[in-house]
Amino acid sequence: MKVLARVFLSSIALLAASPATFEELASQATAAREANNIPKAIDLYRQALQLKPAWTEGWWFLGTLSYDADQYQSGAQAFAEFVKLDDKVAMGWGFLGLCEFETGDRQHSLEHIRRALEIRTGLEPSMEQVLRFHEALVLTRLGLFDQAMPRFMPFVRRGVRDPTLISGIGLTALRQPMLPGEVPAAQQPLIAAAGQTAYLWMTGDTAKTEPAFHALIETYPKAPGVHYFYATYLLSFRPAEEAVAELKHELEVNPRSADARAMIALLMVRAGLSSAATPLARQAAEGGPTSPMAQYTYGLILAGNGELPQAIEHLEAAERLDPASVEYHMGLASAYSKAGRHEDARRERKTSIALARESDSSGSR
Amino acid sequence: MCLALSAQPAAKCVNCHSAEARSQPHTPMGIGLQLPAEQLVLKQHSGLTFQANGYKYVIENKDGVNLYTVSDGTNSLALPIRYAFGVTSQTFVLEHGGHFYESLVSYYPNANGLAITMGSERVRPRTLVEAMGREAPEDEIVSCFGCHSSGGVIQGKLALQSMKPGLDCEHCHSGSNAHMEALSQGKPAAIPKKLGDMAAEDMSTFCGGCHRTWDTVVRMKVWGELNVRFQPYRLANSKCFLGNDKRISCTACHNPHADLVRDDAGYDRNCLACHSAPQKTCPVATAKCVTCHMPKVELPGSHSVFTDHQIRIVRPGDRYPN
Repeated sequence: MKVLARVFLSSIALLAASPATFEELASQATAAREANNIPKAIDLYRQALQLKPAWTEGWWFLGTLSYDADQYQSGAQAFAEFVKLDDKVAMGWGFLGLCEFETGDRQHSLEHIRRALEIRTGLEPSMEQVLRFHEALVLTRLGLFDQAMPRFMPFVRRGVRDPTLISGIGLTALRQPMLPGEVPAAQQPLIAAAGQTAYLWMTGDTAKTEPAFHALIETYPKAPGVHYFYATYLLSFRPAEEAVAELKHELEVNPRSADARAMIALLMVRAGLSSAATPLARQAAEGGPTSPMAQYTYGLILAGNGELPQAIEHLEAAERLDPASVEYHMGLASAYSKAGRHEDARRERKTSIALARESDSSGSR
Repeated sequence: MCLALSAQPAAKCVNCHSAEARSQPHTPMGIGLQLPAEQLVLKQHSGLTFQANGYKYVIENKDGVNLYTVSDGTNSLALPIRYAFGVTSQTFVLEHGGHFYESLVSYYPNANGLAITMGSERVRPRTLVEAMGREAPEDEIVSCFGCHSSGGVIQGKLALQSMKPGLDCEHCHSGSNAHMEALSQGKPAAIPKKLGDMAAEDMSTFCGGCHRTWDTVVRMKVWGELNVRFQPYRLANSKCFLGNDKRISCTACHNPHADLVRDDAGYDRNCLACHSAPQKTCPVATAKCVTCHMPKVELPGSHSVFTDHQIRIVRPGDRYPN
């Protein structure tokens, strides 16, 4: 009797645990999602996807639900699977990049956001704006300030005045590799002031820009990045010597700034003073292995001196650090050309033209 | 009257570099900027008139002064032409209110007279001053005089008091004045860098200082036929451009001390310097290579045709590359 009872109970247990089919799970997941029961929907989508990993729609919903639930790691995994199955969907790459942005995987985030923007087809306009904004933020976080700044321009042109935007612009202007949310409270007024100043400059409000710069410098004379920022402004309409003076101030308050050192050297090169610029450029390159501008400037000088293998090394480093910079590709093209590496030179020239054309068409978006 | 007759050989350099110093001042680079006394195009074509946008333009010589007058039917503005830029086609630089202006109309031989200056085609002037010309920013004026004159720009600043029209030896051969000065005093003289030793990439960068480097054109984002006049850029885009080879440098084909060779066959030897091996020879022709491989392209708005320096195999229906 006991044996029979055991068999009966086991059969019941087996019936209760008998796995649901994929169709059943998919249907339950859809119902949970439509009922806005997100935790249950996520769980059901996961179960269904275990049965059918090639279910594109499942990965999509698992990804979007995870993103909405701030479960970015899970979202990133889901969208990574999604784009493996369908790599033509811009929204998939976009969400993948946004999830990675949140998980701190900045390099991949940038890569995937760019992939989405490159495909563009099917990208909802609001999503496109979100992606472009995050692209600018992540560029700043990665220290690619010169690439980031023009990407804020379309938002400024449209008159957006969001505090996060101002903060993002401020961080970029001061060359601080941070996200707006990472700025310590004590630094926030400085970042906001720099952002407002850059914003005025970007709107072309010349009457207000100069006083804003003066106020910024008076209030924060010893803050790293402030004098460098003012130097870039001066360079747009004043003789280079004035910019150099500001860059020297920058080095006084921020002696490790490889960018400031490199910029002085670059201005000297452009003034025909390559020999005098060499020690400064070398120091910048040695002290700033992650500064593309420092690597580029020293590479440029070495190429001018005919020291081509070393020049190419530094120019390639600059290009690796900031592959979207037209200047670095052009410098490399010229060095390759002089070194007789004609195919490499042609490739770099083509890339330079493509990037320059791309910046033509993306400026208005 | 021949333009070249007015130019003088480069003083003193002629003592040792006779041929170059005698011929260079008569070349387009030697006379690329003309002061009133030498404005021979205007002397040859006095009484030029043109109408556009409701304004009438007259360029005429009055009492020995080349006068540029623009009128709207009621009022007029007349300014002396101080500087004429260019050799065959000419644009004028005028001064008004302490500022320099690029004339809104230029002389184009292909238009058989005056026409709107290239780049100003879309300007719709609202005042006489706007109709007279476009105020040129300082850096642009520095750039103009930097490439069309000698001594007109010192340390990046305009220096009209020391400006000599056209290019002299020192302009390209930096240090030649000091070299000449030292020699004349019997002192040891540093020899200026021999430019002819430069390979193609360096030469393109050097000549591109005025004719625009490859990098400059990309930075300026000048695409399409508009970049045909920037020869160093076009040349570097050629498949046969080898940056470390002198045979494809600017001076391999062009002697800067002599007039431009206009005979297409005159360049064949330069092409054959590389394309003489059987596997590299042209299956179509053995002469006048440039007629096919360097087509003539009309530069929009310039009333001029330029030789495209992007050397290539051109097939019927091909679009202008880049």
